[in-house]
Amino acid sequence: MADFKHRIGSLQLEIALASTAPWTVLFGPSGSGKSTVLRVIAGLVRPSQGRVVAGRRVLMDTEAGVFVEAHRRGVRWAGQTAMLFPRMTVRENLEFGLADAERVRGAIAHFELEGLAEKRPGELSGGERQRVGVVRAAVGEAELLLLDEPFTGLDAGRREELIGRLREWIGGTPVVSVTHDVGEAFLLGAEVVRIGEGRVVAQGAVEVVLGEERERLRTVLRQ
Amino acid sequence: MDGEALLLTLRLAGTTTLVLLTMAVPLAWWIVRGGGFGRALVQAVVGLPLILPPTVLGFYLLVMLGPVTWPGRMIVRVLGHPLAFSFAGLVVGSILYSLPFAVQPLVAGFRGVDRGYLDAAAGLGVGPGETFRRVVLPMSRASLLAAGVLTFSHTVGEFGVVLMLGGNLPGATRTLSIVLFDQVQNFDYAAANRTAGVLLGLSVVALMALYSRRGNQVV
Repeated sequence: MADFKHRIGSLQLEIALASTAPWTVLFGPSGSGKSTVLRVIAGLVRPSQGRVVAGRRVLMDTEAGVFVEAHRRGVRWAGQTAMLFPRMTVRENLEFGLADAERVRGAIAHFELEGLAEKRPGELSGGERQRVGVVRAAVGEAELLLLDEPFTGLDAGRREELIGRLREWIGGTPVVSVTHDVGEAFLLGAEVVRIGEGRVVAQGAVEVVLGEERERLRTVLRQ
Repeated sequence: MDGEALLLTLRLAGTTTLVLLTMAVPLAWWIVRGGGFGRALVQAVVGLPLILPPTVLGFYLLVMLGPVTWPGRMIVRVLGHPLAFSFAGLVVGSILYSLPFAVQPLVAGFRGVDRGYLDAAAGLGVGPGETFRRVVLPMSRASLLAAGVLTFSHTVGEFGVVLMLGGNLPGATRTLSIVLFDQVQNFDYAAANRTAGVLLGLSVVALMALYSRRGNQVV
């Protein structure tokens, strides 16, 4: 649950959202503030006013003076760009902050990253970096997984494959991800929160919130 | 060639570099990550030796570390002797005088680390201390090397502060730059040429070490 106010430049964010779905998608155009919502939940942005709760844990409550620092929130976040640490190999990136090397070995096998494991980020393609960035966030156990445009730059086949493997790997860990891609939202078959100009404008099942959007896109493609 | 002065100079430069890097790394990180009036003041103090005549700094240190001020009297009470005209006093003076040469490359290096890496680390549940040690420092290796080389070279060539604070005591405060000054004063240009050659050689080797590494860095 997130309910907060925050100003970024000329955009005033006033977000009130709650979801218990296993996978929630924040959908909206570029600049609508959806990435900031994720950063607020992750603790990377401190809003002027509001409250963020994950499960039963209060992560932020400005009235009560509570602000749990990002690294203590028990959530794992991956940004729009992978930001893999350049001096580390892929394996070291995946191990970063984790005590369980066995789990990393399991993730490398599960996501078929064996060929990349000993490479440095500079040796990877853009798509490979993106994939490793998502796996790095997912590899550790978390109460909540936050993924900001996790499948950008991946071709359709790779995207579907990664989504499938990701679902298998995370099990019951709830996910909140960001996208502006209607197809991706349907692929995830998730609860969708539509954000426009800093506000939640609709929330519900993907068919309900983005059904019209998909039909319009189909019509455009047929013409 | 005054071997004793050469060894003393290298000892002074080595000690200053080690102490200063230990101090400068957290200080530079605080300058990069801190804010407000305090940061501007600290940056001004750190940069002061760049524009302040070394003799002025040496003079103030001489007065401050001497037995006429309370810090000086405290030092005498603890050490049993004043810091002025001692090797330890020279180290203190060198640290202050070389402060910007250590801090500024580090500040530039730390600023060059994209904030996104810090967010990525925090988003993976890793605290700022470990992130600094395992992400920021390795990404700032070139700046650490630059800070070390510049501090070492600058201390090797230090003259004004050494003369004011240390005088010219063989084995204790008589560094190569003081020897060179004495040799010129005595019109012994052949000896001065040899001393100047050693100082020049040290500087060239230090800079070559810096630039050869920078050319090969992989980011």
